[in-house]
Amino acid sequence: MSEDQNEKPPVFSTWSGWYWFVMLVLAAQIIVYYVITNSFR
Amino acid sequence: MNSIDWIILFVTLALIVTYGTLKGRGSKNIDGYLLGNKSLPWWNVCLSIMATQASAITFLSTPGQAYEDGMRFLQFYFGLPLAMVILSVTAVPLYHRLKVYTAYEYLETRFDLKTRSLAAFLFLMLRGLSVGITIYAPSLILSTILDWNINFTTIFIGSLVMIYTVSGGTKAVSMTQKYQLTIIMAGMIIAGLTAFYKLPKDISFTEAFQLAGVMGKMNLVDVSFDLTERYNIWSGLIGGLFLFMSYFGADQSQVGRYLGGKSVTESRLGLLFNGLLKVPMQFIILYIGILVFVFYQFHQAPVFHNQSLKDKAMQTEYAGAITALEGEYDEVFADKRNEAENLVDAIRKDDPMLIEQSRKTFATIQDSEKQIRSKVKEQISTALPGSNTLDKDYVFITFVMAYLPHGLIGLLMAVVFMAAMSSTASELNALASTTTVDIYKRSIKKDGDDYHYVKSSKWFTAGWAIFGMLFASIANQAENLIQFVNIVGSIFYGTILGIFLSAFYLKYIKSNAIFFAAIVAESIIVYCYFFTEVAFLLYNIIGCLVVVVLGFIFQFIENQKTKKAS
Repeated sequence: MSEDQNEKPPVFSTWSGWYWFVMLVLAAQIIVYYVITNSFR
Repeated sequence: MNSIDWIILFVTLALIVTYGTLKGRGSKNIDGYLLGNKSLPWWNVCLSIMATQASAITFLSTPGQAYEDGMRFLQFYFGLPLAMVILSVTAVPLYHRLKVYTAYEYLETRFDLKTRSLAAFLFLMLRGLSVGITIYAPSLILSTILDWNINFTTIFIGSLVMIYTVSGGTKAVSMTQKYQLTIIMAGMIIAGLTAFYKLPKDISFTEAFQLAGVMGKMNLVDVSFDLTERYNIWSGLIGGLFLFMSYFGADQSQVGRYLGGKSVTESRLGLLFNGLLKVPMQFIILYIGILVFVFYQFHQAPVFHNQSLKDKAMQTEYAGAITALEGEYDEVFADKRNEAENLVDAIRKDDPMLIEQSRKTFATIQDSEKQIRSKVKEQISTALPGSNTLDKDYVFITFVMAYLPHGLIGLLMAVVFMAAMSSTASELNALASTTTVDIYKRSIKKDGDDYHYVKSSKWFTAGWAIFGMLFASIANQAENLIQFVNIVGSIFYGTILGIFLSAFYLKYIKSNAIFFAAIVAESIIVYCYFFTEVAFLLYNIIGCLVVVVLGFIFQFIENQKTKKAS
């Protein structure tokens, strides 16, 4: 097991990039679901 | 089910059990048995986490939930990605750095042995009881559908899981879960597509969406701030965040999954991908329920979805009344189908007036249908006193049995068994890890060698599996046991969460303060359960808050005493 707590993540240069990505995907999903809710009623 | 279905079901089960047993062989040391030698790549960690959370009831009950109540249940999962981010920042590097086997081991480093033992004990109580229900709940439905004896079904599922979980430990659990989840999702998507292709030929995918929307089922996001509403965006984001923080951060059945990651990176990515995939996965499962709902606007749905219970009621003097109600139900369906077609026409013409008019007529017909269904349930309830007439959980599996082609029925039955097995396996593995590492190795036999602890872990896994099966058998004779276990969960979860929140984020609180705060909090919750009318869902919040607030107060008093003494 690696002990390096500052391992460089893949794709993004820092872990913050990943955290923002996950939160942005959640925000995008909520917007899409909100649009679906209001479009199909 | 015909012979093809049985062959597919048993071959799938046999392959998974054999694969798990073979892959898990050779775990000679405790690292290998309880952590799988920390060898899992991120995608396997992610699949393992998802398979653990998704029990059989998820796949049986969620489509039924959408069928009855629409898709608003999706909001319950909105807090999950946020919890994954917070845990990736805090818990994952911490657990890896301390090289812990269980989450509770960390509590000894942060506080002391007594706090660790207390949290481990609370977890064993909570998870030990729920493992019985994880086996019992699907057994109840499967035994009804397959016409098997409930105790046999319980022992069948429990024994299959026990075989590979005892022999291979964590590695066997995680390696099988990736295939289990693949089979589960493939089976569910095939079932959804089948429902779609069985709709009248001229209805498109978008029209199915529109039809469900007009009927009030596409209620995905509710932004109103209403504390009395169980599902809205705020309860999902805030309540869900706390719930998933405690489940993924303090429950060993999940902590054990990501501790098996090769490195901090692999564990983090596993959690983060769970955050990316979980909400869309729930969307798919709920949408399958919507497709089944739309399908039943054009095909006659059963008047009562638990066919076996209805058949029993038909053996009584109430058979005549039920048959008469079924006749009424058939007549209403003819009207409903016509109006559903009118509604589709109105949607195609994109005429709001026509849509509204058709929707109102349709709603009136639906109300009549609901009333007849309620009367049937009343008749069944009177005919069979004490029977559970809630048939939501049977909607999806009844559809599968009635409308899917042979072969796929076997596959879908395998899906339910897989889901029951994957979540049970993780729970058994977590119970064995906690019993071995936090209780047995730490406080009972401290000088054993690796071989001894591996052997003990295997015995504990088998012991918890047998306990689960026994508890599931007793559950068969008790009323409202699922609710009882939810209550038990709520009694313990709040205190455990309070301990972990203080450990992670409140450095001011030290060992004695947290231990006594936890004891008082647990006593208050037990008092609430026996002597008050407080809703049990609130126990989580009360327990957590009491631990944190009292932790602060006790620590303050202790600091004052120390100051005076010095």
